[in-house]
Amino acid sequence: MIRVVSMRRFFGRKFFRDIFNKLIGKDKKLKIGFYGHPNSGKTTLANRMTNDWIGKPIGLVSEIPHETRRVYRQEHVTLKHNGVELDFDIIDTPGIATKIDYKNFLKFGLSEIEAKERAKEATKGIIEAIKWLDDITGVLLVIDATQDPLTQANITIIGNLEARKIPFLIVANKIDLPEASAERISSVFPQHTVVPISALHGEHTDDLYRAMVKGFK
Amino acid sequence: MDTVNTNSLKMDFLSSTALSSQTSMEKISMIVDKVKNGDLVVMEGGLSPGEEAELIETTMREIDVENFMGIDIYTLEKDKKSFFGLSKSKTIGITIIGPANVMKAVKKKSNFLSMIANLGDSGASMH
Repeated sequence: MIRVVSMRRFFGRKFFRDIFNKLIGKDKKLKIGFYGHPNSGKTTLANRMTNDWIGKPIGLVSEIPHETRRVYRQEHVTLKHNGVELDFDIIDTPGIATKIDYKNFLKFGLSEIEAKERAKEATKGIIEAIKWLDDITGVLLVIDATQDPLTQANITIIGNLEARKIPFLIVANKIDLPEASAERISSVFPQHTVVPISALHGEHTDDLYRAMVKGFK
Repeated sequence: MDTVNTNSLKMDFLSSTALSSQTSMEKISMIVDKVKNGDLVVMEGGLSPGEEAELIETTMREIDVENFMGIDIYTLEKDKKSFFGLSKSKTIGITIIGPANVMKAVKKKSNFLSMIANLGDSGASMH
């Protein structure tokens, strides 16, 4: 007996759903890159986020610049806000700079050999961070709100995100410090959303999660 | 390669016309070569965001912890009016790129840039 099986049954519902999702781009994995200067608090924020949503940190933090010298990835972080879920991968990148002077690391007690090694690793990390711009689908640009935000690294990152049409939010971090000014960041980049937070103390992270659901969903 | 004199600073001024005939890679190699040689490059206009990223990447590859610690880039912007003059946006007027160990103190306002170049024991300032 010849059985006629319908196309739908033959391929199954999942097959058609996958094709449909591909067509509308829904299957594209959301990869959110954490970009910014060294010591702006990218890894502190990534740790805050992974602790809040999956209960474990992603990387080490320290006061010595260029602590993160390679890209760290945490897959499947699901953030929930007002009943809306945002499932994404965190791509924590090394801080972007145009120069690295190993002598700056000596001030933190590193030996000359350690400082030079750190500088060499940092240059590789910056190249890796720039390469990741080709593969990320959203960005949190983390800016230390106690510092001048108008730097070449920030200008280059924003310029590249705009040119590549990658959605991004500016995170004004370290607002717990008295010299911090999120307004200074907003005045320099008035056309972009700036979310003031303290990643270290978890202040206003709810505002960031709300903005992420709105901006990246 | 030119001989580097530690007590002098060479500045190359490049017009946008001269730069427009170069490919991105040619521009970046030319800038990095000059800056590694201790020179300051003053360009009319600026690099595209992609070229800026490429310049940082190339600089990182060229960093030698003993002799070359990287670059500093500063830009001065100017207003750019649309065809009907209805909207205003910013465009880069001048870009200054130099060795990070030479460009020491930089004060920047929206229409003013002041820089102190560090030349070993002596110093030179430009505004």
